[in-house]
Amino acid sequence: MPGLASDPGDSLVPFPPDVRDPVVYPVRHGVNAPIFRVYVSWTRGNLLQVACLRPPEADPAGGEEDEVSDEEIGGKIVEVKLGAGDGEISEAQRRRIAYGSVPAFALLQSRKNSLAAMSRMSASSIRTEWWEHVLDYSHHISDLLGNPMLPSSTVIEDPETVMQPHEEPTRLKAAWQLMEIFYVDKLSLTWLPERLVDWLADYDSLLTRTETTIHSKLAGLQKRLVNLQVVEDDPEYWEVMSLALAVGWLDTVVKLLRLHGSYQLDQLGSRETENGLVEAVAVLVSTMPRMRPHLPTGRLGQCYKTKPEFIKAWEKWRGHISKLDSSAFWVQCSHRQTREGLRNLLQIMLGKVSNLTSATCHWMELFISHFLYIRPFTMGLEGFHSLSQKCMQLRPSSSSSGLMCLLIGILGENPEVVLAECSKTFGPWMVVHAMELLTADNGHADILLHEERYNLGDISIEELHRLVYAQVLSSHPLTWQIAPTYLASCPKQGLGLLEILLYKQPVQHYQMILKNLEICRLYELENISSSIMKIAGTYHWKHGRKGSGVYWLQQARDEVRLNKIAQQLFEYIGKSISDDSFKQWEGLIELLGSQVGTAGGLEFLHKYRDFKRSLQQVQDGSSVDAARQTMESLIQLMKNPSTPQRFWLPLLHDSVKLLHWKAQPLLTVSETNLLLNKLQELSMAKLCPDFCEPNLPPEALSSVRLALATNLGRAILEEC
Amino acid sequence: MEKEVATVEKGALCCSWNYCGQRLAVGFVDGSISIHDSLDDSSSSCSSKWKAHASSIKNIVWLPPEFGDAIACISADASLSLWEEVEDDTQPLKWKMCKTFESSNAIVLDLQFGVYSTSLKMVAAYSDGHVKVYELLDPLELNKWQLQAEFQNVIDSVSRFGKPSCANVSIAWNPRRGESQQSSFVLGFNSDLPQFNSSKIWEFEEAHQRWLPVAELALPGDKGDRVHAVAWAPNIGRPYEVIAVATCKGIAIWHVGLNPESDGRLSKEKVALLSGHDGEVWQLEWDMSGMTLASTGADGMVRLWQCNLNGVWHEQAALECNGMQQ
Repeated sequence: MPGLASDPGDSLVPFPPDVRDPVVYPVRHGVNAPIFRVYVSWTRGNLLQVACLRPPEADPAGGEEDEVSDEEIGGKIVEVKLGAGDGEISEAQRRRIAYGSVPAFALLQSRKNSLAAMSRMSASSIRTEWWEHVLDYSHHISDLLGNPMLPSSTVIEDPETVMQPHEEPTRLKAAWQLMEIFYVDKLSLTWLPERLVDWLADYDSLLTRTETTIHSKLAGLQKRLVNLQVVEDDPEYWEVMSLALAVGWLDTVVKLLRLHGSYQLDQLGSRETENGLVEAVAVLVSTMPRMRPHLPTGRLGQCYKTKPEFIKAWEKWRGHISKLDSSAFWVQCSHRQTREGLRNLLQIMLGKVSNLTSATCHWMELFISHFLYIRPFTMGLEGFHSLSQKCMQLRPSSSSSGLMCLLIGILGENPEVVLAECSKTFGPWMVVHAMELLTADNGHADILLHEERYNLGDISIEELHRLVYAQVLSSHPLTWQIAPTYLASCPKQGLGLLEILLYKQPVQHYQMILKNLEICRLYELENISSSIMKIAGTYHWKHGRKGSGVYWLQQARDEVRLNKIAQQLFEYIGKSISDDSFKQWEGLIELLGSQVGTAGGLEFLHKYRDFKRSLQQVQDGSSVDAARQTMESLIQLMKNPSTPQRFWLPLLHDSVKLLHWKAQPLLTVSETNLLLNKLQELSMAKLCPDFCEPNLPPEALSSVRLALATNLGRAILEEC
Repeated sequence: MEKEVATVEKGALCCSWNYCGQRLAVGFVDGSISIHDSLDDSSSSCSSKWKAHASSIKNIVWLPPEFGDAIACISADASLSLWEEVEDDTQPLKWKMCKTFESSNAIVLDLQFGVYSTSLKMVAAYSDGHVKVYELLDPLELNKWQLQAEFQNVIDSVSRFGKPSCANVSIAWNPRRGESQQSSFVLGFNSDLPQFNSSKIWEFEEAHQRWLPVAELALPGDKGDRVHAVAWAPNIGRPYEVIAVATCKGIAIWHVGLNPESDGRLSKEKVALLSGHDGEVWQLEWDMSGMTLASTGADGMVRLWQCNLNGVWHEQAALECNGMQQ
């Protein structure tokens, strides 16, 4: 089949060679089978309206069983929202994130544009600063996705609370943070493993939905802790401690150690050595050297900023551990569980693989423990990928979450996979905003995302994703107005989509039209703004609001429609100036005010109104000035190209009486000649097939001609 | 994911949404039409219902919004009428008939409206294989139409063909609305004469004031295939047009060049043939960006098609609409 013939060899994203089956969603429309016809229509963005109609004739077989209400239903219309999220984040929260991320995105784009303009002058310094801008942006977005809970502020801390209560972490934020760590924050590259330790501390609970994690084990112990009489006899106590130590949750380990029974006052005497060992391990745990600039308050360990200092401290610390491990005190410790449990902790700190492996649940936890205890001197990304593969083999996971697939993509340095996972698991918002992180300092991703592709209609992958996201935004009446910001960042097709989006907005509300026109003005879309005004004008004109109809058509400079309206008005008032309807249409033109400018039809109507008014005055009285003014209006009207030809004869016919003005001729020779020429033109036009005969007495033309001829004669005599 | 927005009465045969998707016109078996307006909470209510024809309504098409709230409807008795919603001082808001097109010897099968610069054109295709293009003379009066052209959907206009009997026709205008753009549309028949069937793109040649076929969207072996539906994708900036044509063999996706080659024809390439619907395809609809195609068919499914980053078209998802089995 032609559609399937592409070579998997040049695939951007590794698609399985056979086309996967599409997901089938049943539409619960509540209409009983059979369905006779289905109609669809895209409305806003990704919203699809689906009409399911039943056969028009009653179905004799199933008809009797139907309920009465069903009998009356001919079909239902349902609105299907495509690409709705996974439900982790509520719709309202999603909208809050969408709105909140606009300023950061827009600022980053404008910085990008100004840097691109500057880059022609100095290219080298730009890259170095750029990731800092992206980091700003990333922090802003990260804050939107939820704030970490501040450490407990109570004065007296409950010693049995080993887990800090956190707000419910979201996968979205976890994913964002991962990308920030790996792609943007260059400063943290030197202490990357420690950043991952922090990340895991926040998001360990999200690693898998179905399997155990250290977090879930710890939560289990926390629940049982209040009821445990002698904690050190409980194997889970020791197990959880080893788990927490393996991933570097030192404060948790120390807290748990201090719950050991040997600390109790009545026990101190008999269990002195045992208590000494517990305390020694607690001290060792809490003084673990860590290769990082600082630690958040409440976290344990000693920070070292430079590698040499860290290495020195690390070796010293390891020496203490080995010394304790081989000390003679263990023999004197009579409590078996304590002895074994503590020595297991020491083995973990000494980096013994078998102990680490059994002290972790998920491969990601094992991965982190390797950095903490086996390869503490790792800098940058070296060996990350192979280590992650090794950990996955040791701790295979039966289910793979989107978050983990994303991490694997990042570790595999595979931006295609990262992008595909962002899109699949976290949706279009994530893709559009995370692309900025991906390209912050990654040449390969930069090329991948910005290369224009014929298959996509000559746009880049970056632009494609922005278009898709804008379409999602335009699916909801509360978010469509932020879509233009994203469309404006699409160099090739953004404005094209924006035009369609604006054209599809309803025009019933004045405020809405103003908003849409403002967007048109901002992006210089004159064509579409004129379309919107035309649509609004026609809508109001046809719905009895003639004033606002004309107003919008004027704004649109729609000469064709305005001329037609002028004609309609003209026909409407009839031919006689004494008609009552004169007042009506005069009122309408008055309503239009003095703004009537270039639009031809209305300009004509205005002049025509002036002419009719003065004609009426002349008939009421008989002042020469009024008569002369009327004739001037007539000449103006006849000279004006916007005066429709079909009005020429009625105009002249109305003025016959003035042409026969007794006291003096009111027109000069040249003026009379002009009118005669027009009359001649009219006689020629009469021969055309589409000539529209005015509703006048048949002798009108000849009476006008006679009046003009008489006037000409008198004017010649006058001017001699 | 889905939300019920309206219920239509018994006897509904066809329906059609207006440009912004807020109004829905439904045609009934008894010749009446109802209009449903969506309210703010995205439910909708029936704002009017009237009897438009003596026999059942087969198809309803909305006019472009620049020409008011108006619909064209085709009834089973071969008549075609235009209706618009108007209100003025003398009468309240109502749907008023403004024009009927009578045709003595053939039935109108489908019609579509296209806007070019300021004029409105209507192309209507008839059961005898004739295609008529009308132009609206006055943009505010929907009763003044002029027949601009009449032709048959064949490339070779000199040869004489028999009289075809057409069951169905599909028309789609080029949705691009630029001032400089030539008017063009694509049209395909479902008839018993093979020459008429294949979809052809017709373009108006300003110089000679005539319509010319500029591309035929069928491979040599498929020219006689009966066409069930066509849809022209909105083009927001692609260097080529995308047109979907459904025949009995499946849904073909065509890329068509923007500018004519030296022989006056447009370049064309069939990039995919999508199969999925068992049986006839009823309708094809492109989304606003022209990236997703929705199709409905006799299998009661709505299928959504997209092209991946490698240019391979595939079925992205399907909506099962077959209703509750009792």
